[in-house]
Amino acid sequence: MLADWWQYDFLRYTLFSGILIGLICPVLGTFLIVRRLSMMADGLSHVTLSGVAAGMLLSKKIAFFQAVNPLFFGMLFSVVGSLFIERLRKVYKAYQDLAIPIILSAGLGLFTVMVSMANGFNTDLYSYLFGKIVTVTREDLYALLGVGAVVIGTVLLLYKELFAISFDEEYARVSGVARRSINLWFMVLVALTIAASMRIVGVLLISALITIPVAASLQVAGSFRQAMWLAILFAEASVLSGLYLAYLLDWASGGTIVLMAVLLLVIVLGGKRLRARFLQGRGESR
Amino acid sequence: MEEVVRIESLSFQYEDGKKVLDHLDFSLLKGDFVGIVGPNGSGKSTLMKLILGLLPPVEGSISLFGVPIQKFRDWTKIGYVAQQAAHGTGGFPATVKEVIASGLVSKVGLFRRLKAAHYAKVEEVAERVGLAEKLHDRIGNLSGGQLQRVFIARALVAEPELLILDEPTVGVDQESIGQFYGLLRSLKEESQMTMMIVSHDVGVMTQWVTKVACLQRGLHFHGTADEFAHNQENILRSMYGDAIRVLAHHH
Ligand SMILES: Nc1ncnc2c1ncn2[C@@H]1O[C@H](COP(=O)(O)OP(=O)(O)O)[C@@H](O)[C@H]1O
Ligand SMILES: [Mg+2]
Repeated sequence: MLADWWQYDFLRYTLFSGILIGLICPVLGTFLIVRRLSMMADGLSHVTLSGVAAGMLLSKKIAFFQAVNPLFFGMLFSVVGSLFIERLRKVYKAYQDLAIPIILSAGLGLFTVMVSMANGFNTDLYSYLFGKIVTVTREDLYALLGVGAVVIGTVLLLYKELFAISFDEEYARVSGVARRSINLWFMVLVALTIAASMRIVGVLLISALITIPVAASLQVAGSFRQAMWLAILFAEASVLSGLYLAYLLDWASGGTIVLMAVLLLVIVLGGKRLRARFLQGRGESR
Repeated sequence: MEEVVRIESLSFQYEDGKKVLDHLDFSLLKGDFVGIVGPNGSGKSTLMKLILGLLPPVEGSISLFGVPIQKFRDWTKIGYVAQQAAHGTGGFPATVKEVIASGLVSKVGLFRRLKAAHYAKVEEVAERVGLAEKLHDRIGNLSGGQLQRVFIARALVAEPELLILDEPTVGVDQESIGQFYGLLRSLKEESQMTMMIVSHDVGVMTQWVTKVACLQRGLHFHGTADEFAHNQENILRSMYGDAIRVLAHHH
């Protein structure tokens, strides 16, 4: 059973991309969540979806586009969407979280219109929505590798700036951190990550992988750095166990991964309670 | 004497059109320790934000270290503790050490990592504000007064030449307030740091600062702490009305 993962290309691609997603999603997620922007992933994933639909529509109508992976249209839409959110956040300073539902509805609206324009698609849209193991190609993996390298490189080089901005944006600005450019770049990375990850977990579930492992790590982390490492640990555990189970039981990979992440969160929460009770009990018996 | 801050005929209003500052002139010399008082809503925080470049002047000019604010780039020379800096940060998963170190980000520069020497500086400052034992605690587990000191340490760690504090003692107990002003005074004596502090506890603050300025649209009074102490009752009454008697009678 385990040997299958080396024997078949698509399984190897899936495994590698899963490991990559399990690394970059929680890393970006940690910053997003402490900045209270966790809904961002949701908004952008719907824009990505409309991009994928646009790519499929074009390849159906114009032969030239058949050679282009709809994933790249997803990336393009997602990046444009993230720039738009930044713009909207400035226009509605007092209602910053308004930007996300606007973008989300726009993405979903575009998506449904394009699906109807195409009279449906032959390609399995379902796999883009919820993720499916057998659809991961070498090209998908390379795209993800590229995005992953840029994300990790950025976080290594700009860790202290990203921390300062996330903790206190006004202070970062006062002390002269290049807040605007870094914010913009960060949002572009989130957009690219969402687009590149969707084959594995699906657009609708990607935000779960960005938020749930971080939600678990926040419960137990003693520092910001630790919160990030634990989030990576939880995410990798969910991805690996989820992929294995999904293949074994023929379940949807995205859904299985997310269920594993939720299970981990429940275990962490329960463990924390038990520990508190244990410590309390010990205190009483003294 | 070098002029650290020079403000000429500065006016400011928010988008709703209400004038907050009206042709204000002000200057801060190197080594000054200025206390700013004024009733709620008189524009003290607004003035600080203008000096920090967080708000654009509507009219008039601001110079920092002799450079017009539009061209000023040496922001690491200025340390800032915002009003209610600690508000809403309790749940953030960061240690005291991580937060203080974030005050060095701009000084260390883009793409560079914090090194052992930087962390030594962080520890030194933590010791200074009495948080040496708390370095590895999550900030959510600190008391209000301790958290306030974390933010002061973050402002101090980059060794600013000008320190701006906006109501830093709100919610801090009486004993810690005394220690806090003692710390500021020793910083000023050791490093010639220029300081500007906005505070409500007029009585305590005026005992420590060297100059006092009262703000209400314009600057009502701008003199040495001694002069202020002499005329305190009159100045304050003209600003706050009769309500001030309660305050002034503490001393
Ligand atoms: N962001 C803002 N938008 C509109 N009005 C504001 C804003 N911030 C402050 N004000 C108004 O400007 C005035 C001065 O505020 P502020 O500088 O905070 O006063 P202080 O710090 O002296 O209490 C107040 O009337 C306040 O309501
Ligand atoms: Mg104020």
